[in-house]
Amino acid sequence: MADPVTRRQLLAAAAGAAGSIAAATLLGEHVWPLLAREDLIPGAAPDVVLSPNAWTEGDDRLSFVAVGDTGSGGRQAMAVASAMAETYRRAPFGLVSLLGDICYYGNFEDRFEHVFARPMRPLIDAGVGFELAIGNHDDQLRHTDESLAEIEAELRLLGTPGLYYATSHGPVDFFYLDSSVPAVFGEGAPEQWEWLDAAMASSANRWKVVALHHPPYSSGRHGSTPGARRVLEPMLRRHAVDLVLAGHDHHYERTVPIAGTTYVVSGGGCKTTSTGRSPFTVTAESTLHFLHVEVEGDRLRGRAVRADGSVADRFELRAREGR
Amino acid sequence: MRREAVDRIAPPLYAAIDFAVILAPAVAVKLAADRGGMGDAEGVDLLAASALLGAAHAVVAFRRLRTEERVAVRRADMWLAAVDSLVMLALGATVLLVAVFYGFADEHASVADRGYPVVVLWTGVQLVAVVIAEATGRFVFWWLEPHPRGRPA
Repeated sequence: MADPVTRRQLLAAAAGAAGSIAAATLLGEHVWPLLAREDLIPGAAPDVVLSPNAWTEGDDRLSFVAVGDTGSGGRQAMAVASAMAETYRRAPFGLVSLLGDICYYGNFEDRFEHVFARPMRPLIDAGVGFELAIGNHDDQLRHTDESLAEIEAELRLLGTPGLYYATSHGPVDFFYLDSSVPAVFGEGAPEQWEWLDAAMASSANRWKVVALHHPPYSSGRHGSTPGARRVLEPMLRRHAVDLVLAGHDHHYERTVPIAGTTYVVSGGGCKTTSTGRSPFTVTAESTLHFLHVEVEGDRLRGRAVRADGSVADRFELRAREGR
Repeated sequence: MRREAVDRIAPPLYAAIDFAVILAPAVAVKLAADRGGMGDAEGVDLLAASALLGAAHAVVAFRRLRTEERVAVRRADMWLAAVDSLVMLALGATVLLVAVFYGFADEHASVADRGYPVVVLWTGVQLVAVVIAEATGRFVFWWLEPHPRGRPA
């Protein structure tokens, strides 16, 4: 005859059953995917010294890098930063366009050294300039005091002139946008769009590049930002913008020219998420990477460079007629 | 299935699951590195460390079950304790890692350039989880088993 079940056995069985369900749910749905997606393992910063101011910039020539979502300070971020430094050594560039989300796992003020200064030290010491399109970690950007303080810290520590602004480098005019929900659709939107319209109208350079965090076109995890095309595209078309650079989704993707504008997602600065393909996609790849762009005369050549230095994509744009 | 067959198959199967549970977080990190194009060598250090620890603990868990099979008054006690131990291991070996690396990101990063052995921290955290799980298994078994009156437990 079987032994009667004791109260302690019932308790142990209940603990085991509850624990199994909790473990399966917590690990399977949250923790293992988090480990597979995030860049939590600390990494050593690139240990190279680069020749300062080694790039050539003129009226018809510019070399720059764009990279988004770099803010972990982990091994993968360091690998991308090392690849950027190596690219500088071979083909120096004077500008890095940061496409948002420059700090994860804390606030920028506290993590500045680890998520920006350490990985970018060789480039900073070489005199490379950094320009930022502000990003977010969720859809609440600018909705809370905390997120406002975070943005203020990012702007101050990187010397960024504002939430949206324009810069000019050689033959390229850059327009950095605030792509948060309030700035695109909310009460701040009219002001930003009026500014952008006027800034683009007065832009006299051959090339126009827009940089923002949320991608108007993306086949990735977040996908195309709802409504962004409706708001943004008429203006991009009117002013014949050549290239739109975005982050947010952690993959690389380039679209066919849409009304003459090529859209690139470059959000693989420290972590990756899966991507599919859409009718607008020319190439898409889930990979750690950055985008290296060289402008020379009427040609703009882009290369998506993986963390191991290999090239994921190459493309070439021709200047618009009359420019 | 006959009891002898269960006795033969269950402990090694349990040890294999134990090994897989310890290895799983390193596999997740390695897959992320591979997907990101970090190169074949990236993440191998953590994988090797977890595999070594997992193998060692699989042996310990196997022996524990064999010993408990011999001494258990009620075989159900042994398996209840084994399940509780495995649950603790699954949660501890992964959640503890994420908590330590996520919660103290700056502390680890600040010494990363000085040859900071991340793999040692990784192994240490998993070792703590293993010790907790092993202690849980042994304690629950002791707690469940009947003890003769008048003798210390």
